[in-house]
Amino acid sequence: MLLLSAIGATAQNPIIRDQFTADPTARVFNNKVYLYPSHDINPPVGQRQDWFCMEDYHVFSSEDLTEWTDHGMIVTQNKVPWVRPDSYSMWAPDCVYRNGKYYFYFPSAPAQGGGFAVGVAIADNPEGPFIPEPEPIKGINGIDPCVLLASDGNAYIFWGAGRCAKLKDNMKELADDNPKEIVKWGNREMEMVGVNCLKDLPNRQAEGPFAFEYNGNYYLTYPYVRENTEVLAYAMSKNPMGPYEYKGLIMAEHANGCWTNHHSIINYKGQWYLFYHHNAYSPKDDKRRSAQIEKLYFNADGTIQEVKPTLRGVGISKATKRIEFDRYSKASKGVEIAYLDTLNTFEGWEAALPSKGSWISYNDVDFTGLDNSYMIANVMAHENTAFTIREGSPKGKVIAQGKIVCKTEGARPRDYSGRWMNVTAPVQYMPKGVVDLYFCCDGAAVHVDWVQFKNREKYYSPATATAAKPDADGFIRRWLVLEPINKPNPTNTVFTDSYLRDAFGKEYFKGQFTTLPVDGQKVKVEKQTLKWHALDSEKYNLKLFRFAEEKSEQVYGVLFWAVTIIDCEEEIKDVRLAVGSNSASMWWLNGEEALLLSGDRRMVKDDGMSPRLTLKKGRNILRGAVINGPGMSDFCVRFIDEKGQPVKNISINHK
Amino acid sequence: MKNLRNILSAATMLMALSSQAQVGQPYIHDPSTLAECDGKYYTFGTGSGGLISEDGWSWKGGAVRPGGGAAPDVLKIGDRYLVIYGATGGGLGGGHNGRILTMWNETLDPNSPKFKYTDAIEVAASDGLEDNDAIDPGLLLDPTTGRLWASYGTYFGNIRLIELDPKTGKRVAGNEPLDIAIDCEATDLIYRDGWYYLLGTHGTCCDGVNSTYNIVVGRSRQVTGPYIDNVGRDMFHGGGKMVIAAGDRVCGPGHFGRTVIDEGVEIMSCHYEADFEQGGRSVLGIRPLLWKNDWPVAGDRFKEGTYEIESERRGYALELAVDFVRMKQERQAWFRQEQNTPIKPVPNQTLEEVIDTWPKGDIPARIGDYMFRPHQKWTITAVPEAGGYLSNPYFKIVIEGTNRALAATDKTEVTTVPEFTGADEQLWRIEQLTDGTFRIMPKAIPGRKGINTKFVLYSAGDSTPTLAEYDFNSDNSKWNFRNH
Repeated sequence: MLLLSAIGATAQNPIIRDQFTADPTARVFNNKVYLYPSHDINPPVGQRQDWFCMEDYHVFSSEDLTEWTDHGMIVTQNKVPWVRPDSYSMWAPDCVYRNGKYYFYFPSAPAQGGGFAVGVAIADNPEGPFIPEPEPIKGINGIDPCVLLASDGNAYIFWGAGRCAKLKDNMKELADDNPKEIVKWGNREMEMVGVNCLKDLPNRQAEGPFAFEYNGNYYLTYPYVRENTEVLAYAMSKNPMGPYEYKGLIMAEHANGCWTNHHSIINYKGQWYLFYHHNAYSPKDDKRRSAQIEKLYFNADGTIQEVKPTLRGVGISKATKRIEFDRYSKASKGVEIAYLDTLNTFEGWEAALPSKGSWISYNDVDFTGLDNSYMIANVMAHENTAFTIREGSPKGKVIAQGKIVCKTEGARPRDYSGRWMNVTAPVQYMPKGVVDLYFCCDGAAVHVDWVQFKNREKYYSPATATAAKPDADGFIRRWLVLEPINKPNPTNTVFTDSYLRDAFGKEYFKGQFTTLPVDGQKVKVEKQTLKWHALDSEKYNLKLFRFAEEKSEQVYGVLFWAVTIIDCEEEIKDVRLAVGSNSASMWWLNGEEALLLSGDRRMVKDDGMSPRLTLKKGRNILRGAVINGPGMSDFCVRFIDEKGQPVKNISINHK
Repeated sequence: MKNLRNILSAATMLMALSSQAQVGQPYIHDPSTLAECDGKYYTFGTGSGGLISEDGWSWKGGAVRPGGGAAPDVLKIGDRYLVIYGATGGGLGGGHNGRILTMWNETLDPNSPKFKYTDAIEVAASDGLEDNDAIDPGLLLDPTTGRLWASYGTYFGNIRLIELDPKTGKRVAGNEPLDIAIDCEATDLIYRDGWYYLLGTHGTCCDGVNSTYNIVVGRSRQVTGPYIDNVGRDMFHGGGKMVIAAGDRVCGPGHFGRTVIDEGVEIMSCHYEADFEQGGRSVLGIRPLLWKNDWPVAGDRFKEGTYEIESERRGYALELAVDFVRMKQERQAWFRQEQNTPIKPVPNQTLEEVIDTWPKGDIPARIGDYMFRPHQKWTITAVPEAGGYLSNPYFKIVIEGTNRALAATDKTEVTTVPEFTGADEQLWRIEQLTDGTFRIMPKAIPGRKGINTKFVLYSAGDSTPTLAEYDFNSDNSKWNFRNH
């Protein structure tokens, strides 16, 4: 059974964030990267709790090294005939493509005999289904297979502490012409096939060989114990089976003492990458590991530059997905990383920026597709504070500024200190393309989990010059709207008919009921100076709330005026004005009251209907006022004929 | 004497009619769909905690749900309970950044050793600036596909639909939220006979006796909508057909939940913003759920009173098997009628006129032509001390003006006994069915163990009542209460 699941966008390390993934073997098939890791699990009851425990394999794929798809389980211990049941020893695998088939090599504990054997499972596709061969490969006694498809036309299999042998063309057996040697193992002597490529090289506890070919050189890369824990080292040769010359380190010991490391190296779209593992999600138990990626570079002489593990890893992160700043590229002094939940480490991390001026950066964030957008940050603080997202450097251009108000005073004081909050803020400057982001602390300590950018929904645009028509359902979408008049009301239940007649009957500005406003015109209402805007709504309903949010300080406790011109080629009799509004509203056609919607209204299409009206030939002025306390103000307006059909043979203008 | 009795019975009626909501301490806002666990009923509300009931009628606090937040829902999936709820993300001053979370529990009984919630998982969120407020979730496990859906949102923007994994309670990978309604809140989804229904709460919340909260519905052939009302209006355009509004001294019903008790026996749960009888507090309400032309509508709570009990089978009336006492009438042959004689109304036959003709002991019940005679008029009153079930308290059914009570017999038949004693076989469970008729069920049948939930008053023949197993597909199981 194939189970597809996309893992949340993660550019950073570890790359798989919902399960352990050790010994990551990456391969490029069909222009995609396929990842065949071993699958560490927490040992079930009855298994050794402090040892490696692996019962099956999953395969993952990605086209950008950022978003990975889990194609589910491909091989499991109790469905391989030669594997000892419940041995939980499905260690580091490999997968190669040859002669139209995918060959998946994996070590495990055989049912017969001790030690480890290596088996192969075969599939037509890199995701499987893989059919295991009934017997392991004869002549291999060991772990960690790796298959090299050399330019000499042969396939070579490496395993264990660096032993290599040629494979037959069928990829399931060792070639008959491999050298053999007698090896002493304690006081036992046994015949081993192939050659030990690391025989005279630094090789203490060497394992996990990974061989590849580049620019006429063969590289044998491998973990071994230099001092106390494993490093990744490499050797070079002109021949697949050596002799190899030791060249140095690819990666030094893990700083936290994680004993193992195990890796693979691929070139994908022109860039070399090192896949390796670390116990990031299992800090107290280095037998549960997770795959990570870094870029890898060669020197001109073919030697490899040492790679440092990072949190940031590789890949370009989309600004529209969560950017996990705790997986930072760089950070100022004093920045600390901690698990969000030490009991469930897969929840990830947070970064704590201790004081004003501290910062943390995250490279390669793609802003493509964003224009009128806002920032959302998942942050936490213990005092009211602020932060800024900048481009390129800690002093770079300001993209957005967030305020963390965790304590408020007044009648209903709140204390949200120590609680994670989503803080939103408009984007002041929109970066182009791929940039590096800096999260900068502007006050008391700030904790950040992630930051994300979203486009604002488009609710309206400036009215165009050409006459508008009603939409398919007859809704009138072109309106001149006045910025909201402050009219504080903590509830909408006060909107009785007499309250509204009073509120709508009052003259707020000159010519309120008579003159036709002009786009951009300003009027004075007590201390407020308010502007008229000619708008074309993107929706059947005009979202006054969003208009207020953009144009005004006040979004609740407001009164809106809206005007539009209905032009008719002929007189249209017996039509009704159909309105839905949030909250109460009142409407006038050509100076005559047409409709009052009172009470705590919701915007419901055709909620209220005027008596039968006549739209006269030529210009008709439709005027409305909408009042709102709390809630999302909006309205929808159309004319309906005697048969209940929308009136559409009209044009709508703002001048 | 007669007048005194009338006054007394009117007073009893007023008292007994007092509560339209459940009894006990049913104080709650936004109750989740009722869940049954080990024979008890549970519902969770806004804030923490919730209510527990042994019988469905009397409720008290004590249910436990951590996480606080608004308007949860609960659903039994397999042998576990999935709880979904909304939590605000910490926005201040009316912020709209909400989070929808799910968690599991093997039991809802906080005293059970197995009672332990899994860690809550976020399945949806709103960022405070978008047209959505991620609180008020409702769950639907689609019986046709096994897929799990949740609707959520408030007046702040749109109601959204997401898909969850019924095995994990997590959001299905790659699932994008769908906008399905506007201007409502505390939504719930249900499925019935090929239709998906979206129930939303409209009107004013949280204003006590002035709250206009009401529940409306739209329906769709697809779970993804569009949800259309009875005049063809999309709920995304504010459409919705009324399911329940104010009345009977309760107002502001909100947060719908449907429970199917039996075939054709359904109830809806909600809260009333204010129960006028309980000081205007927000309380749990349970009402029969009726289906008319494939639209759900709340039935009224059964009202005490004096009724004809009419069989749905023939339209005959349940009566005492006594002699029909003819009434006297001055009659003239039609050819001798004097046109100018004043017309005098004929008085009803009274109990006093006939009661002495009735036997003193048990009188069997019968079904016959309704002639609004004393032996056909049944006074139905609640017996509060006898407890209840989801829809009502138990009732006694006596001949008007007497204590002669309808009772089940040890032969699984019905009779009447001269004096109501409060015995279980004289207590009746009355439930309105989805088609508007009623089933009438004795609390116990002598000789049968436990509370009866199977045998109902049944038309064995047009004229013969009995007790038999309830069958929604037979009119023999159904009765109407008519006051005429």
